[in-house]
Amino acid sequence: MQIKVTVNAEPTLMDVDPRESLLDVLRERLQLTGTKKGCDHGHCGACTVHLDGRRVLSCLTPAVQADDTTVATIEGIEGIEGPDGELHPLQEAFVRNDALQCGYCTPGQIMSALACVAEGNAGSDEDIREFMSGNLCRCGAYVGIVAAIRSYAAGQP
Amino acid sequence: MSDVLRVDAREKVTGKARYGADRTPEGLLHAAFATATIARGRIVEVDTAESEALAGVVSVTTRFGEDELGPPSFVMGGGYGTQSLQPLRGDRIAHRGQPIALVLAENPVVANHAAELITATYEPEAHASHLDADQAETLLQREAIPIPFADDLTFGDAETDMAAAQTVVDATYEHPAQNATPLELLSAVVQWHEDRLLIHEGTQNAGALRNGLARQLNLDPQQIEVRSRYLGGAFGQRNAQHPYLAPLVLAARRAGRPVKLVLTRQQTFHQASFRPQTRHRITLGADATGRMTAAVHEIDQQTSRHDLFPGGYAKVTSRLYGIPSYRSRQRLVRNDIQTPGYVRAPFEQPGVWAFESAVDELAARVGADPVAFRLANDTSHDPVSGLPFSSRHLGECLRRGAQAFGWEQRPLAPGDWTDDEGNRIGWGVAVGAYPANVTPARARVRVEPDGTVLVETDGHEMGQGLTSAVTSLVTRELGIPAEQVRVRLGDTRVGAQPLTAGSWGTASTLPAVQAALEQLKAGESGAEAGNGLPTALADRAANGLVAAAGPVYGEFAAFSFIAHFVEVRLERVTGRIRVPRVLSVADCGRVANRVTAASQVRGGVVWGLGAALREHLVTDPRLGGFLNASLEEYPISVNADICAIDVDFVDRPDPLLNSSGVKGLGEVAMVGVAPAVTNAIWHATGQRLRKLPITIADLPAGGRRPPSGPSTGGSRPTG
Ligand code: FES
Ligand code: FES
Repeated sequence: MQIKVTVNAEPTLMDVDPRESLLDVLRERLQLTGTKKGCDHGHCGACTVHLDGRRVLSCLTPAVQADDTTVATIEGIEGIEGPDGELHPLQEAFVRNDALQCGYCTPGQIMSALACVAEGNAGSDEDIREFMSGNLCRCGAYVGIVAAIRSYAAGQP
Repeated sequence: MSDVLRVDAREKVTGKARYGADRTPEGLLHAAFATATIARGRIVEVDTAESEALAGVVSVTTRFGEDELGPPSFVMGGGYGTQSLQPLRGDRIAHRGQPIALVLAENPVVANHAAELITATYEPEAHASHLDADQAETLLQREAIPIPFADDLTFGDAETDMAAAQTVVDATYEHPAQNATPLELLSAVVQWHEDRLLIHEGTQNAGALRNGLARQLNLDPQQIEVRSRYLGGAFGQRNAQHPYLAPLVLAARRAGRPVKLVLTRQQTFHQASFRPQTRHRITLGADATGRMTAAVHEIDQQTSRHDLFPGGYAKVTSRLYGIPSYRSRQRLVRNDIQTPGYVRAPFEQPGVWAFESAVDELAARVGADPVAFRLANDTSHDPVSGLPFSSRHLGECLRRGAQAFGWEQRPLAPGDWTDDEGNRIGWGVAVGAYPANVTPARARVRVEPDGTVLVETDGHEMGQGLTSAVTSLVTRELGIPAEQVRVRLGDTRVGAQPLTAGSWGTASTLPAVQAALEQLKAGESGAEAGNGLPTALADRAANGLVAAAGPVYGEFAAFSFIAHFVEVRLERVTGRIRVPRVLSVADCGRVANRVTAASQVRGGVVWGLGAALREHLVTDPRLGGFLNASLEEYPISVNADICAIDVDFVDRPDPLLNSSGVKGLGEVAMVGVAPAVTNAIWHATGQRLRKLPITIADLPAGGRRPPSGPSTGGSRPTG
């Protein structure tokens, strides 16, 4: 069936299989491979994107459900590689705090963290840990991830 | 050395870093496997009719010809593969989850759906899935694999010295099977261009993929190019050619189109290598002065029915201390499983957990402080070879760690320390070691017209920070900023790309880069150098074979060392085990790049905590395979499990091992964390728990303080 979805500010019209996940559509059809597949079952958070501003697991989201919505992926977050090539401040914080190793969970962590802060769930380290626990990091970069989110959240109004 | 921020962090935080499966070449087909539902036996018939009828299915293959798909070879048997079993080549089933059919389809949904529709009839046979299973076959490792590498280690006279010991600890420890679960699913994109083959796969061993495929498919290695620029973690699970790769390549050739495979997570549990289940009996003796005089380490380890995966547990437990008499006995237990393999600190995690638990118990029995006891048994010489260690600052790791942790506040007696809220507190310590091996590596360095320095070298970037360590070295040597350095690795176009594993990556690659830089500084505009290992080894590496030197070199033995200090709190109300803080002090020679090195240690600590408190594969004795084959049920540490992890380094260059003064770090980081946790739990409760992982149910009174127990102290440690 046909869906109309705005992906990273680009209105897109496409035919999708009702069985197809938003994750597969992003990765395999739109070549937005920044969003990762770590399980395809909603267990790891690597596929986190924003759907109408909320964080969702794109592997559990049928593409048809994205009809008439706005999707943001890591490639489209505001401020990313702006005119001077600057990063979004949260991305910057991830780099400065070395909040990653292999980087495979990182796009999902960042999408999740943006939402976590916007939801008001980044008030303390304990909150951050709790509300970021849906995003697994097998490299074990959690200390850096919490530090990055803390420093970004502290700079937020 | 000047330190740099992780040089590929920018590409990773923007989603631009491209991993193996992040490619969708024109005309791409998607592959999926149907897998066996029995653990041992024979396939009678595979029914593919329904699957083939599905719209979008291009082909279903249940068997390749034996001449087309050559026999596989096991990496530990002089070959290239994770195991010597090649699915889709015969009718034998050797483990549950073994592929029985390969589907190609126009998109991943159809491919996976089609794979699910495939059924088979089997002639099942009785199987064994764990150490104590009826059908298991137990072998003495030194007889089954009669080469020095797999031999037991024996020196002194452990029996006599044990009999003379004043105090003896004799205990048995159970370590579960575990899975590395790198977050990136095992995957590959394979593509033929005429008679040239291009493989994109996140691997630690591009050289083995190239040479292994060439041997199996009767190709010239030069026809095959393997690119593995980024890996979404590996931890040993990507250290050789997987059995899925050759069938994939053949299917792509038949279809005349590129093919992408992404294994399901469940399939990675049932097809990829894993840390085998082990049992360790440790016997330790000490004399009246608290010196350890004798040690015996006996190990039973799972292996598969079709391969002998050699255990190497004694190599490290024999060297943790200066114990004059030591004996090991390693046995292999054949099960009907995929061949187990190397998972981060493959032998050191289980072996040192058991050994350091026993050492702690012995310290307590002789009434010694566990740090003081370990210091008193330190050594500057390798007890196995009698040679000096190239460098060993374990004593300093212990002293520095104890100081920073506030160790002197720790009550000696266990089970009697609570905080204001009634949570029980325990502090534990343990040490770790890991062999400092090296593998051949070559590097080319060239100054580009725009002034950029391009480094092309052997090695794979798995997230450990090898690219950053190389960049750091170049910036220091040439006095240029990191932005002016470009590193290419993990790619057969720029090198032979032998295995990056065993914590030897940085210590192998940096000396090659350094040697090339010396030539460059001497005025050459482009330079190439190796890292000085013997030609025979270099030849093996150039052909994709495992080629490691060490840890005993001509005049010294080389190991990395670490000491971990752990605090546990057992929550009064919930009984939950919390680890509010860990402090680790590592001796990895010179720290190649502090930012990435510190992350590596923190990551290792997270692994150690997971191993102690969460991770275990639950075998299915009925059907074979594992019952918890998902990221939901195989519990790795989540963010909420992890609190403060402080890392410090001795940071003294190793004077003998190589020109860069670096030893390995990625695995030693993990070694000793688990026993520090279990030793801390003993300190909190008085209970020695000898089976991992430790869960609430293992603790007395479910971890809660018995109501009658007097709450003494109530002091809160401040260190
Ligand atoms: S891939 Fe979606 S949660 Fe793991
Ligand atoms: S950085 Fe590797 S999984 Fe998080």
